[in-house]
Amino acid sequence: MMWRNYLKTAVRNLMKRKLYSVINITGLAAGIACFILLALYLQNEWTYDKFHANAAELYRIRLDYGEKDQPVTHTALTPNGLAPVMKDFPEVKSVVRIYPATSTVRYGDKAANEKRFIYSDPAFFSMFSFPLLSGNAATVLNGPNMVVLSESMARKYFGTTDIVGKLVKVDNKEYQVTGVALDPPSNTHLKFDFVASYASLGKKDGWDAANYYTYAQLADKGTAAGLQVRLTNLIKEQMGSALRSGVTLGFTPEQLQDIHLHSIAQNSTEQGGDIRYNRILTVVAILLLLIACINFMNLATARSAERSREIGVRKAMGAIRGQLFWQFIAESTLITFCAMVLGVLLALVLLPAFNSLAATRLSMGLGNARIYTWLAAVFFCTTFLAGTYPALFLSGFKPVQVLKGRVLHMSGGNIRKGLVVFQFAASVFFIICTLVVGNQLRYIQHKKLGMDRSQVLVLSGENFNSQMLASFKSRLQQQSGVQMVSASYDSPVAVGGGYSISNLEGKPADYSINITAIPVEKDYLRTMGISLLAGSDLTDADIQDVLKPEKDQVFHFFLNETAVKYLGWTPEAALGKRMVMNGRAGTIKGVMKDFHFASMKSKITPIVVFPEYNWFGQILVKTSGKNDRQVIAGIEGIWKDFLPAVPFNYHFMDEDFNELYQSEFRTSTILSTFSIVIIGVSCLGLLGLAAFTAEQRTREVGIRKVLGASAASLVALLSKDFIRLVLIALCIASPLAWYAMHQWLEGFAYHAGLSVWTFLLAGAIAIMIALLTVSLQSVKAALMDPVKSLRSE
Amino acid sequence: MIQLQKISRHYPVGFGKNYILKDIDLTINEGEFVSIMGPSGSGKSTLLHILGLLEEPSEGQYLFEGERVDKMNEKKRTQLHRGSIGFVFQAYHLIDELTVYENIETPLLYKNIPASERKSRVADVLDRFNMVAKKDLFPNQLSGGQQQLVGIARAIVGEPRVILADEPTGNLHSDQAKVIMQLFKHLNEQDKITIIQVTHSDLNATYGNRVIQIRDGHIHE
Repeated sequence: MMWRNYLKTAVRNLMKRKLYSVINITGLAAGIACFILLALYLQNEWTYDKFHANAAELYRIRLDYGEKDQPVTHTALTPNGLAPVMKDFPEVKSVVRIYPATSTVRYGDKAANEKRFIYSDPAFFSMFSFPLLSGNAATVLNGPNMVVLSESMARKYFGTTDIVGKLVKVDNKEYQVTGVALDPPSNTHLKFDFVASYASLGKKDGWDAANYYTYAQLADKGTAAGLQVRLTNLIKEQMGSALRSGVTLGFTPEQLQDIHLHSIAQNSTEQGGDIRYNRILTVVAILLLLIACINFMNLATARSAERSREIGVRKAMGAIRGQLFWQFIAESTLITFCAMVLGVLLALVLLPAFNSLAATRLSMGLGNARIYTWLAAVFFCTTFLAGTYPALFLSGFKPVQVLKGRVLHMSGGNIRKGLVVFQFAASVFFIICTLVVGNQLRYIQHKKLGMDRSQVLVLSGENFNSQMLASFKSRLQQQSGVQMVSASYDSPVAVGGGYSISNLEGKPADYSINITAIPVEKDYLRTMGISLLAGSDLTDADIQDVLKPEKDQVFHFFLNETAVKYLGWTPEAALGKRMVMNGRAGTIKGVMKDFHFASMKSKITPIVVFPEYNWFGQILVKTSGKNDRQVIAGIEGIWKDFLPAVPFNYHFMDEDFNELYQSEFRTSTILSTFSIVIIGVSCLGLLGLAAFTAEQRTREVGIRKVLGASAASLVALLSKDFIRLVLIALCIASPLAWYAMHQWLEGFAYHAGLSVWTFLLAGAIAIMIALLTVSLQSVKAALMDPVKSLRSE
Repeated sequence: MIQLQKISRHYPVGFGKNYILKDIDLTINEGEFVSIMGPSGSGKSTLLHILGLLEEPSEGQYLFEGERVDKMNEKKRTQLHRGSIGFVFQAYHLIDELTVYENIETPLLYKNIPASERKSRVADVLDRFNMVAKKDLFPNQLSGGQQQLVGIARAIVGEPRVILADEPTGNLHSDQAKVIMQLFKHLNEQDKITIIQVTHSDLNATYGNRVIQIRDGHIHE
């Protein structure tokens, strides 16, 4: 059998050339493993929410609003009055609301604050395809105080999934378990651990507060545009005379499967993915595989001189090109097969690490038949990519030249050089990107924010009323290591509250602006280290003004520099001006120096900080940073005195801050990891090439040595060509990387510059690595005994 | 059997041509044992390669059993190459990764001969050359003379009608050379295989029955 003969030669060739085989198989395996991991990740990203049976008909309703002459804000949060009205629309098949609320869940001695806790209408499990292990999808949320647990939560609290009918305590209220759902997959933006019935909330339907997500299943995809008009008219009708002229207000259905990558709405249940990063990673994945294949091609053709005799002989024996072509394909197949097996194993081993890197829960799904077709496709692509060129190249040799004893010197050299340049250009490109991205992230983390988020401990303030908070605060302040205590509505590094200012002193009566604002406790400015340009900090008397009954209330506002500038005032002139913010009348008490209260991707916008003691989501504890563990234990002790039933949870504000750049951090880590792999694989290829060049030039080196060349000059001779290739690669990659990174940085309103040093550093790194790799071989060649090398000829 | 008519082979040098072979007319009959002799660079090997279809002439006609080789299609040429011609090289040119057995088997593989027949033919040849014990060795485990024996075994296993040998004893010492030349003579006389060898050695030429001298691309018989 011809194939057996091919395979035999292939195996023996592999065994004979161990370095070559190891380089080839490792390089390819690394490429394949990374490709598999990235492909799993990207598949997860691209298939977000596409698994729902009626995915094409599912929409989330987005709210768009904007004051006169101001940019429109898009939010995924809608009023809870919307769903009941929509239910009667003919184009709407069904509609559910979702209300996320971190809740304390307790069963027996197990208790925890559950973040992925949502309330939803009865149709939830029939609308979305989250399969239930037990319970009836149509009825599990059919009444008040019912809850469905995810499989892993059922195991966490009960140790079993057979729990229908049992009772759990949610925020000290008894709920009946009506079902257990499979854990939601990682490719949905609706990741829940608990779904409780909406009726349990006991909220009245209304139009004033937009705190709910509304999802609808439409009878037909074509009706979405009509629905948008209908909903927009509806809200205008609902608002009636309350709607001021010039204000934009409307609803837009967003297709469910587009939410993750395309939604422009804020306040989504999960931070969306970034399609640009996905594209970058797609390129990285393809490049990785390509570079590994290029290694293979380079090494295989570099060996042409060595193989040429065999090819000549086989042709003289009557082999035609086609037969030799298939022989070399068989060899490639063998190598890619080994690499494939190794690559899949490697991917399996690395998957957990990758999952923690990318914050995903991907699995290979080896039990699924699809992965095998998929791996087979990768296998064939790789074999084809890597094997075709060498096979064509090698099988095309003219036997006469070989048999006449003409030495074939590294033929096909230009293509091979081109491929090396390509590999190194890709490596340099990614080195530059990694450096720039890292630089920008460092810039973000070290940029003066205008406030001090370090050593600020964040506790949940949800269970405190204002009296409790006051005494909790005074207890905390006695704890050693605690410097300041305050509270705020939401996180100081990601303020979300949208308000509007009107009735401004010195402005026309109909003048109003959209503004971000955050209700705070008295010591907020000092705790966060926000400095004042004009005016003074809050006093106890100011707080008394706010705590008065509604009609006597007087509010005290702090505006930032940007807001005051926008209003056309100097900081001093702004002091004492009267204004009304969403019904709260008061005066401007101070002007704050600008600080970053949102992602640096956008410019600092106007913000108002004002004391209001209705509800604080966050208690902020500024610590000295010494003996953290003791301090935290002390705080926990105090917490237990106040809220024995609520588990103590805390985090540092730095974490909130980093969360803003989560996708950047994640992409940065993925990018740098895979850049290293790209560079590594490229180097493997270079190592192999250098080895063959050195081997081919053994005789030349021997002669030169006999003639008196020094080892150093020989190393230079052997390395020169490769370094030139790397330099060319540098010239190609730098402008491309400059362009790409310039585009990326433009996405940040605040960014570090692109410096020449980055490029020089990247170049230096690439050359150093290449030099090291090549010199490994050339030094060996240069130090060889010339007599030996000449005798072997 | 073989007829060359006005065969030339040249390659371009600057604006002119450098002739390696010029206007060769040659007829070789079935059963002949021909030695081609001449100084280095005279064109001996090129002539042999043209005869063996490894190289194409620039001008002229090559008839194999009256048929124009240059007019044959690829398939027929391959058939002729595989079925009628065997090669023996000065440097043996065995495939290092294959055993003796496998080296001998290779031409049969390319001829798509069924496995059972391959087996018996290789076995026959091994037997005939007294190499059965060495069939699983690799070429680098053999002496030069033994390697050339394998080379010849490989050339005749396909039962060719012509063996083309390019200085078959050039790398061997005289005792080994003698064995090889006697083998060629035997093949020529007993098996009626036409043999064309290129050689420097007058002694080797005496084994054959015809000598062709080449000088500067011309034949002097």
